[in-house]
Amino acid sequence: MSFRMKNASSGMGVADHSRDTFVELQRKKLHRYVIYKIDENKKEVVVEKTGAPGETYDDLTASLPEDDCRYAVYDLDFVTEENCQKSKIFFIAWSPSTSRIRAKMLYATSKSRFRHELDGVHYEIQATDPSEMDLDILRERAN
Amino acid sequence: MGELSETYACAPATERGRGILISGDAATSTIAYCCGRSVVLRRLDAPLEAEAYGEHAHAATAARFSPNGEWVASADVSGAVRVWGRRGDRALKAEFRVLSGRIDDLQWSPDGLRIVASGDGKGKSFVRAFMWDSGTNVGEFDGHSRRVLSCAFKPTRPFRIVTCGEDFLVNFYEGPPFKFKQSHREHSNFVNCIRFSPDGTKFISVSSDKKGLIYDGKTGAKIGELLTEDGHKGSIYAVSWSPDSKQVLTVSADKTAKVWDITEDGNGKVNRTLIPPGSGGVDDMIVGGLWLNDYLVVVSLGGTFNVYSASVPDKEPVTFSGHIKTVGALACVPLNGQKTILSTSYDGVIIRWIQGIGYAGRLVRKDNTQIKCFTAVEEELITSGFDNKVWRIPLNGDQCGDGEAVDVGSQPKDLSVAVQKPEIVLVATDSGVVMLRGNKVASPINVGYTVSALAIAPDGSEAIVGGQDGKLHIYSVNSDSLTEEAVLEKHRGAITVIHYSPDASMFASADTNREAVVWDRVTREVKLKNMLYHTARINCIAWCPDGRLIATGSLDTSVIVYEIDKPASTRITIKGAHLGGVYGLSFVDENSVVSAGEDACIRVWRLTQQ
Repeated sequence: MSFRMKNASSGMGVADHSRDTFVELQRKKLHRYVIYKIDENKKEVVVEKTGAPGETYDDLTASLPEDDCRYAVYDLDFVTEENCQKSKIFFIAWSPSTSRIRAKMLYATSKSRFRHELDGVHYEIQATDPSEMDLDILRERAN
Repeated sequence: MGELSETYACAPATERGRGILISGDAATSTIAYCCGRSVVLRRLDAPLEAEAYGEHAHAATAARFSPNGEWVASADVSGAVRVWGRRGDRALKAEFRVLSGRIDDLQWSPDGLRIVASGDGKGKSFVRAFMWDSGTNVGEFDGHSRRVLSCAFKPTRPFRIVTCGEDFLVNFYEGPPFKFKQSHREHSNFVNCIRFSPDGTKFISVSSDKKGLIYDGKTGAKIGELLTEDGHKGSIYAVSWSPDSKQVLTVSADKTAKVWDITEDGNGKVNRTLIPPGSGGVDDMIVGGLWLNDYLVVVSLGGTFNVYSASVPDKEPVTFSGHIKTVGALACVPLNGQKTILSTSYDGVIIRWIQGIGYAGRLVRKDNTQIKCFTAVEEELITSGFDNKVWRIPLNGDQCGDGEAVDVGSQPKDLSVAVQKPEIVLVATDSGVVMLRGNKVASPINVGYTVSALAIAPDGSEAIVGGQDGKLHIYSVNSDSLTEEAVLEKHRGAITVIHYSPDASMFASADTNREAVVWDRVTREVKLKNMLYHTARINCIAWCPDGRLIATGSLDTSVIVYEIDKPASTRITIKGAHLGGVYGLSFVDENSVVSAGEDACIRVWRLTQQ
């Protein structure tokens, strides 16, 4: 059952399901990535797609639309310099320059409210074209 | 990955009426010279291995190796001196603001602890000597009132410094701490170069008054001169001693270099005269010279090196050269059966390079016009400059024939030739597109938008014109007009370059908004997109001969190679290919790409799959 919470900047609520899916990614490692979309009819952030743990970063990039904005959360596994296996969660605000201005504004104003719900994100990336969310950039940020 | 396989280095930057002072390291037979903002270190026994140091913020003027060969001190026009390690990652040891104007010469002391630099001090000090690591001054250098063109450090103890300059004076300082001792006013024109002999007993000054004077190294008194019999007939720009201190090499504006024997009484007699081969023009004036081990290196105003052997006087010199100005265009054509790389710069110089050998001569044209756009097919060069003409120049083997010019009405912005039917050339101008058949204008075509780039298919049946607004217009080519077939909109900036793939099944376009796109020619659908990895405008594109790879070069100094069948994210990036931006690109074979840029160098890169 979803309930609305007040958002002073854009009035977007956050669906409960969105938060639960994030917790599943974080605690139970049920998903590799989650893609969120703002549903304008219901005025809230909902889950559009989730990726199985076996999927890769390329699958996430392929699932993002070319000319519409989304939010995405990705769980990156990597090995540090001291040879420890680590895993960090990235929040990606995907806002391509080819998308409509109304969409960009909507996603930008709702972002902080949404981020507030996702407790436990390590790094945030803002990408306006595919070269800005290249896997190398994520690897560089993670340590 | 892309690895550097060959560098065709630039030539030293020269200026008419002034000499250049090049230097070298005897232990490794390496010479150092400057061009633009780069300092080039080049091995005389392996001229294809040249390294360029590009960390100066202003045009570099002089570079000197330290006596132990580990450090290089280089100076630039802003008066800064950088001391950096020669090997490894060229770590900067120190940077000093030495003078308030351009530095013309600098020298290390023989123990490697002090550096003296001289130049244009703009009214304040013209010469400064300082400790190499801390920058503290080691003397007061007054006595000059004009730009000091050269300075030298006595290579043996007791230490002395000598300087000479535009005020016709030769000054002698004793120290350390260095103080003025005496001055000579024997020259009647600019004194261009002053050098101590390696054993420290004498020093020699040469001047634009065609004279060379020899002085005692310890006292500074004049002891003799270069005898005028068979002497130079033009300004002498540089002098260099032989390692045994018995001979000197002088170079002059009379287009010759002379080797003199210095006798015990301090006079010099001409031993032999070296006349480098040349076309006889102003570019043959010799402005720089260096005697390094067995090599006699002379540099002409046009940037050509001639390296003679000191021990075998009659041997033909080894000649090599390079560009001095930004290289604007590259083309790979077979000439005389051999695959040759042609590079051009805006001053009209066209140079031939052969992979593995390097410099293969200049292409001399009868009408030496400036070149802005350039393209070449097997038997012809098509160039345009800054006027309204397009030149078609036939190639006979490796010589240029008589070119013919066609007036196209306004300055051409881009040129494209149909490779299989070379008589058709399309020219883009500010007002539209002009089609040339042979040497005549077939028709000017008004397209209704501002054209920024164009390409014609190899078989001449189709043309693509890119506009300032980022739209690609596809036309079919009739005998004297173009019929619009389609308009493609994807780019978000003015189109800079369009290229068909060698088999014409695809074409690629790039824009000022750093994006490149590969399209399928028949369906006009996007084949490879998201080629957005550059950070500044894309200047050039090249296709691999089998159409599998495509390379883009950009103002952001990097070259990126994409594979057509794989997503754009699996790319090979070559960073820092050319200081200032990459302006020309071409594939020589399936695995090597050659690039040219603003630093006047051309580099060949070998691509290996990961």
